[in-house]
Amino acid sequence: MSAISTKRLQKELAEIRKGCPAGITLLEADDLAVWFLSIEVLGESVYKGEVFSLRFKFGPRYPIESPEVVFVVDNTHQAPIHPHVYSNGHICASILGSEWSPVLSTSAVCITLQSMLASCPKKERPTDNDRYVRTAPLSPKDARFQYHDDTV
Amino acid sequence: MKVTITRWDAIAHWRWQTRANDNGDNDDENDDDEGDLCGICRVPFEGCCPTCKMPGEDCPLLRGQCTHIFHLHCILKWVHSPQSKGQCPLDRREWVGL
Repeated sequence: MSAISTKRLQKELAEIRKGCPAGITLLEADDLAVWFLSIEVLGESVYKGEVFSLRFKFGPRYPIESPEVVFVVDNTHQAPIHPHVYSNGHICASILGSEWSPVLSTSAVCITLQSMLASCPKKERPTDNDRYVRTAPLSPKDARFQYHDDTV
Repeated sequence: MKVTITRWDAIAHWRWQTRANDNGDNDDENDDDEGDLCGICRVPFEGCCPTCKMPGEDCPLLRGQCTHIFHLHCILKWVHSPQSKGQCPLDRREWVGL
């Protein structure tokens, strides 16, 4: 970690501990560089009653560089079935890649992903899910996503 | 009544001029929290960026043509990074420092 990322993350953590946006809960941030948050869509949606877990990994150049954000997939967690979320938890969202801005924050990313889920009309995996998951790099930040659809 | 001043202490306070017609003494005029922070490091403008130790002239602010203001060191780190595409973090317009 560097001075810039440590100070920013400490500030964000203090704010998140004071109170998260509705439907978002901090699960763990013992390591300042790796945080887990849970996210659920409140109100009517195709994900009603489902709670997902997100993992944020922050590099020493955060917030100049975007964090790595994935849905946790393990024995107890599944990624949401969504056209922009691969079954390995990788998320195709422009704000995590080419449209990242250093004024965004952990809670801003959570809110964006929450609204991405809320606006989804039908549970579907991305059309290229199997191919992507077979060849996906360990970190989605090393994947070359094409952002082609802003409607869901 | 006659008052004799035996001693006085002068106290000065500085802040960056971040608004037009800013005479420097409107600290409590509707300051929302966000407005007076650098959006990149989230440190108040009057503080210094996380890589500096002392606030002041060595850690100045930079205003862009889009009117957004950041610590000079913070915005330079951003615009020099490939992810920025040379854009303002707030409105994604081309960043042109004034």
